[in-house]
Amino acid sequence: MELFDILTPLFFILIVVGTVIGIIFGAIPGMTATMAVAVCLPLTYSLGLENGLALLLGLYVGGISGGLVPAILINIPGTPSSLTTTFDGYPMTLRGEGENALKIGIVSSLVGGLISLAILYFFAPTLADFAIKFSYVEKFLIIFFALTVMAALSSNMLVGIFSGILGIFISLIGTYDISDGGNGEYRLLFDFMVPYLDSGFSLLPVLIGIFGLSAILIEAEHGMPAGQGLSGVKLPKGKPFKFSVFRGQSVNLCRSSLIGTFVGILPGVGGSAASILSYSQEKHFSKNPEEFGKGAPSGVIASESANNGLTGGALVPLLSLGIPGDSTTAILIGAFTLQGIQVGPLFIGNNPVTWDVIIIAMLAANIVMFLIMMFAIRHLVKVVSVPKHVLFPVILMMCVVGAYTINYGIMFDVWTLLIFGVFGYLAHKIRLEIAPFIIGFILGPSAEIYFVKSLESFGTLSIFFTKSWIAGVLWLLIIMSIAFSIALSRRNKGHGQA
Amino acid sequence: MSFSSLLDVSIDFDTSHLVFPTLIAAVLVILLVAIAATNWRVIVSAVGATPTWPAGIDHMRFFGTLIATVIYFIAMPAVGNLYPNTGLGFYICSIVYLFGLGALYLHKRDRRHLTIVTLNALIAPSLVWFILSEIFNLSLP
Repeated sequence: MELFDILTPLFFILIVVGTVIGIIFGAIPGMTATMAVAVCLPLTYSLGLENGLALLLGLYVGGISGGLVPAILINIPGTPSSLTTTFDGYPMTLRGEGENALKIGIVSSLVGGLISLAILYFFAPTLADFAIKFSYVEKFLIIFFALTVMAALSSNMLVGIFSGILGIFISLIGTYDISDGGNGEYRLLFDFMVPYLDSGFSLLPVLIGIFGLSAILIEAEHGMPAGQGLSGVKLPKGKPFKFSVFRGQSVNLCRSSLIGTFVGILPGVGGSAASILSYSQEKHFSKNPEEFGKGAPSGVIASESANNGLTGGALVPLLSLGIPGDSTTAILIGAFTLQGIQVGPLFIGNNPVTWDVIIIAMLAANIVMFLIMMFAIRHLVKVVSVPKHVLFPVILMMCVVGAYTINYGIMFDVWTLLIFGVFGYLAHKIRLEIAPFIIGFILGPSAEIYFVKSLESFGTLSIFFTKSWIAGVLWLLIIMSIAFSIALSRRNKGHGQA
Repeated sequence: MSFSSLLDVSIDFDTSHLVFPTLIAAVLVILLVAIAATNWRVIVSAVGATPTWPAGIDHMRFFGTLIATVIYFIAMPAVGNLYPNTGLGFYICSIVYLFGLGALYLHKRDRRHLTIVTLNALIAPSLVWFILSEIFNLSLP
């Protein structure tokens, strides 16, 4: 199908709908872009790949951007990536500059999104061309590297690795698939479980359970607190927004967007790391660091351009290597799986039209996000004040619909949703790291094939060190990420003792 | 025996399905021991400092959500079997489920709030059922 046949009015309507719903999800504290994408993913089944991507990428961009609204107006980040926006956004609201702060954040979000999109467009095909040369050995090491990076940036390295490995372990339940070169035997199953788990746990009910149901269980545990809604927040006219506030901020905008993009490229690292890193860099280089935390517009700019920089960055490893950059892009794998398409080094070359559609959808979603938030922010503030007793039951129902319809109506998928919803809740209680778990779960079956087939072919473990110079470089990166993690842990302990 | 021969591995295809799970299980156990060994002080103090679960949580809303969800999942296919291939199992049970949860999550159960919950329980499943089952022809319980 030609590109222009795909770019129908429906395609753009879905981007607008996705972006609006995403902004609403992002703006409600406790709900995230990941949850929005997980809950709406089953709807894309009947839309086809391109229209489905339009909806999901709109949700992704909108969800990340919407988090700035409560961060600035009520000092609660709508999404974790808006954490540092509260530092200066809320003080601006307190002195009557709420609308001004929102618009600074919106423009910064647009710039961050566009810069990261440009990097995605130019960098992903190059990385994919390079990755085509990888054998099973290098592919296994790439997954190993992804897990060590995730663990390195977790709050506790060992727990991060444990979570990722646990994800791999659970993904191995079921048959060692003949179509992947396996022997078709079951493992990690009792006989009575075989009819249900022949092919293991289905990915999407697992994701919907962990990101949808568990979030609601956490809220239920706290008694569904009404909290400080946005309904009572007034947006006084105050100082009118002027683009001149960005004068002298081009270095901040570019640096923060690039930091966000880079952090997005690292697998499994959340947006909060991106915004914290760029905020601290801007404070470090600022001529007036004492103004930070008291309502400095440059703090809002650094935070918001970084977290939207994440959107394009996280798609780079997904579309070039098949490794998700964050939890939300992990769910996007489900959208491709639904349509029978495998993402990896061959994806861009084999699906040039879909690749162009992704770029156009991301560009349009960023522009739509900007226009909606810039000109309708006062109305949106009212929309996101929907009470939890109305919203959460509907979300639970949508989770069930999603889990049931994803594999043409299998009731066990609905129970999977519940099992992993409870697992997500327990993981939250005992502080397991969810992002490494999910990425381990997604990449586990591939890791097994790459590992076992490498050993079957070469008959020695030394092949993982000697196969090629790329393997050597990957080992170097793995060692560096572990060393970085240990150094970070020691420094944190030192700060703790000081 | 040379060092390189120590790294030699022979995999029998018939048992190849157990190689990776066994390795991963071993790594998990090692990591669990390492976490317990390096963080035991933190674990012990955390266990001692916080009230034992489920103390300190909203029992009614937390367990109410779980129990209502389990009943919902059991009831959907049962009701659906009475009206096969219509999606009515989902539709009818969702109305009851949404009303139950909405009422459970309310902090003030006055007539105005209960009316909103009732309307939500009637409208949302009707819309979803109509769009997915009637327009998109998706399978519902």
